[in-house]
Amino acid sequence: MRLRALLALLLVACTSEANQNFTGDTRPPGFFPGEVVTEQGRLSAGLYDVVFIIAAAIFLLVEGLLILIAIRFRSRKTDTGLPVQDHGNNLLEIAWTLIPAIIVTGLFLGTASVLGRVDEKVEDPGLVVDVTGFQWQWTFEYPGITRANGEPISFTGSGSDGPEMVVPTNERVRIRLKAQDVIHSFYVPQFFYKLDVIPGRINQFDVVVQQPGTYGGQCAEFCGLAHNEMYFTVRAVDRAEFDTWAQDAVQQANATPAPAPSGAESPAPGGTVAVTSVSTLEGFDPANLRAPADTPITFQLTNADPAVPHNVAVKGGNPDGTDWIGLPVAEPGASATYQAPAMAAGDYEFFCSIHPNMRGTLTVGG
Amino acid sequence: MATTTLRPQLGTYGSTRSWVYEWLTTTDHKKIGVLYITTAFLAFLIGGVMALGVRTELAVPGLQFVDASLYNQLFSLHAITMIFLFVMPMWTGLANYIVPLMLGAADMAFPRINALSYWMIPAGAALILGSFAFGGAPIGWYMYAPLSATDPAKGVDMLLMGLVLLGTSSILGAINFIATIFKMRAPGLTLMRMPLFVWNTLVTSVLLLFSLPVVTSGIAMLFIDRNYGGGFFDPALGGNPVLWQHIFWFFGHPEVYILILPAFGVVSEIVPVFSRKPLFGYRAFVLATASIGALGFSVWAHHMFVTGAVYLPFFAFFTFLIAVPTGIKFFNWLATMWGGQLRFDTPMLYAMGFISLFLIGGLDGAFLAVVPFDFMVNDTYWVVSHIHYVLVAGSVFAIFAALYYWFPKMTGTKLDERLGKVQFWILFIGTNLAFFPQHLLGLDGMIRRVADYASNAGWTELNFLSTIGAFLIGVSTLPFLWNVFVTLRGPRDAADDPWDANTLEWATTSPPPTYNFDALPPVRSERPLFDLKHGAVAAHATALPAASGQTHGELREDAAEERLGKPVEGDRDESGEPRGVAPGVSAEAPDATPVAGRSEPDMAEALRQDAEKPSKPGEPT
Repeated sequence: MRLRALLALLLVACTSEANQNFTGDTRPPGFFPGEVVTEQGRLSAGLYDVVFIIAAAIFLLVEGLLILIAIRFRSRKTDTGLPVQDHGNNLLEIAWTLIPAIIVTGLFLGTASVLGRVDEKVEDPGLVVDVTGFQWQWTFEYPGITRANGEPISFTGSGSDGPEMVVPTNERVRIRLKAQDVIHSFYVPQFFYKLDVIPGRINQFDVVVQQPGTYGGQCAEFCGLAHNEMYFTVRAVDRAEFDTWAQDAVQQANATPAPAPSGAESPAPGGTVAVTSVSTLEGFDPANLRAPADTPITFQLTNADPAVPHNVAVKGGNPDGTDWIGLPVAEPGASATYQAPAMAAGDYEFFCSIHPNMRGTLTVGG
Repeated sequence: MATTTLRPQLGTYGSTRSWVYEWLTTTDHKKIGVLYITTAFLAFLIGGVMALGVRTELAVPGLQFVDASLYNQLFSLHAITMIFLFVMPMWTGLANYIVPLMLGAADMAFPRINALSYWMIPAGAALILGSFAFGGAPIGWYMYAPLSATDPAKGVDMLLMGLVLLGTSSILGAINFIATIFKMRAPGLTLMRMPLFVWNTLVTSVLLLFSLPVVTSGIAMLFIDRNYGGGFFDPALGGNPVLWQHIFWFFGHPEVYILILPAFGVVSEIVPVFSRKPLFGYRAFVLATASIGALGFSVWAHHMFVTGAVYLPFFAFFTFLIAVPTGIKFFNWLATMWGGQLRFDTPMLYAMGFISLFLIGGLDGAFLAVVPFDFMVNDTYWVVSHIHYVLVAGSVFAIFAALYYWFPKMTGTKLDERLGKVQFWILFIGTNLAFFPQHLLGLDGMIRRVADYASNAGWTELNFLSTIGAFLIGVSTLPFLWNVFVTLRGPRDAADDPWDANTLEWATTSPPPTYNFDALPPVRSERPLFDLKHGAVAAHATALPAASGQTHGELREDAAEERLGKPVEGDRDESGEPRGVAPGVSAEAPDATPVAGRSEPDMAEALRQDAEKPSKPGEPT
């Protein structure tokens, strides 16, 4: 495999920053769908096989005829006069109108029946998950699972892996989709399904995940600058494990205090840095921050953006060298205070983990 | 209808004007056609460079070549350039040059509006391509609101203004073509004797006329939303983002047929000529074209299957249905070739390349009508592959077929066949290498319009292949450009009818004089030139005796005995005359035989003389 060797070289040379966030079926692509894990998706994928066989037969017939004709009826030096000048043949023409018409009618009936089952929604699904898409992250909210103050537990993605949605296997899960800004699309390839997330509209679908596992998803409708980084994952577990997870999630949510209102909390010891996130496209103001070295840093973020949540993260800001990410995110128009660990002197890149294009420099020490 | 009374003049209107002034002010449909074609080809090169930028970035995972912002501008303007500045003006240009000739007309119905239509194109192109300097238009070619309504870049407003100009140009052009085709046909050229390229241009023009005003108003609404807070597409103000999609695709789907129907027309001209047979099932072909045009307006929402906002079975059904007339065309092309004497000159190679590859694009379309499958591959590379098999393997192949086929008519010299074949094979391999792997990528879940993809998804090899294919497509333009350059420097010695063709454009000189025709051959079938060369009876004979000394591009001089045969029983047109028997080329051989020893470039002269002879209705002997 010389191509592979060449690619390996290229990869080493150019992909230092390449992301690895793909989760799910990593088998190489082929002519048939990869592993599909939902009841609905399996029905749809089954339809693909039927269409593929019909299409392949038509393809071979037409290409075969074309090649046969090219060989058999090529002009020769021995040709004399004109070939037979036939203008048509009603019987043949009716045949190749009717036969395709019958085939496509059959395909339509198959499509309609599968579509009915894929699109089917029950009165009372076992679990409802509300999905909110915004530039360029997701929030997953479980309206049926509430914390102490009565609010549903909710997970907003930050960082390049996005949030995780946990669902029980072999149960009907209703996914409700709404958008905050522009159109997105909720797409999990191994569900063999996607549905657009449209502002001003709630789209919903039911899904039964039949196989436990973690499946990658991504926004599929072009939604602006960081569209290609709008990832999420869906983890399907059995009911018992799901209940345990839900209990833990509620406990954790109860333990996390609600974000303090602006200015209510006295700054922690160490350096305090104030910064404003202006908007997704204009980034932070100021874009250059200073903080003392080796003391914990407090970020006071004012989110001046009227529509979109933001936060602050520091590349390599954790003591172990991973990115420090300030959570929870500051909602539009709100403020948030984040406690970051002490950092060694040097220049760091700070960014909004929802909008990786929003970047600035944090100079520590000096 | 008599459009041939004007005397043709060789050369330009007056020798005192400079050629720059001449080209800037011309209302000659042929010069305007050449302007269109040249402009469109430039746009093809510009759009191609953008595509190479996109493919270079995607060759391997990670961001190496461009950043996400530039990437989004590149793919958006690539599509807009290729669709609105390349394929549409290219077809308009070819039709501008060829349709009046095929009709035996002196010019388009409204020559000055024709010039106006053309000159809106460079203005629109300047706005659209100039948007790069003002933040670009990173909103995709279908410009979905609210993304397009909220993007702050001024480039988006420039794009919208440019599109309004191009839309107006196309609407005027469509009216011009419709008027020309209905009012300027030569005597005897009934609707059902029109060449298929004219039929397809007619249906295309009707599609343009019905769809473009809709999207042009939509663009105006979007412009108001962006600049004056119109709220048409903003749910916070009571608008609806899905409305934009309905408006856009009500135009956008007929647009696909606007881009591909002329290609069907070209292939339907070339296949019969290079098979030396009439088009099999002419009437079915016309019907299929018209029904594709009509059905084209009932399928727009199949682009919106995953919005959750359309009635799926209706649009699925009509999408399936449209496969039937398309299928008819394939079988009719194959049947036309069956039993013929196939010559594989470059135009025919491209036409056969079209048939073999557009088939894939067409079958893909049937897949996408299967709604549950569309749920999977909508917005993935599978759809990217489909649209490129339609527009590259379809429109671009047919455009090259048309350019090679009509180049001698436009310039008086044939393009080099060897370079043409080299170009064909590079393009054929490049197209498949670039676009076939994208099927597999999409089926595996790789979404479109992403500057980057995960390195652990197993997509790297196929993307790399696709990039190699894209560069091969880029390379394939080089032999073509070289071919045009070298050929135009060589002697202009092509015959009037170098391909032994059937339709009227070959009955005048190459290139045609101003006002095109001195005299027209009689039109008694859809192949007036065939009737002239081979005799009316030959058109219907089931087997023919040998014709000695027959070579392509020459008038037959010794086919008298064939013309003495009887017309086929019952084969009479509405007036009761045997169909295909021309007055000047009647069954009485001596009259009909063109003058022996006449040299080829004299064909126009010969036709004039023939036409001046007293017409004798053909009588069976």
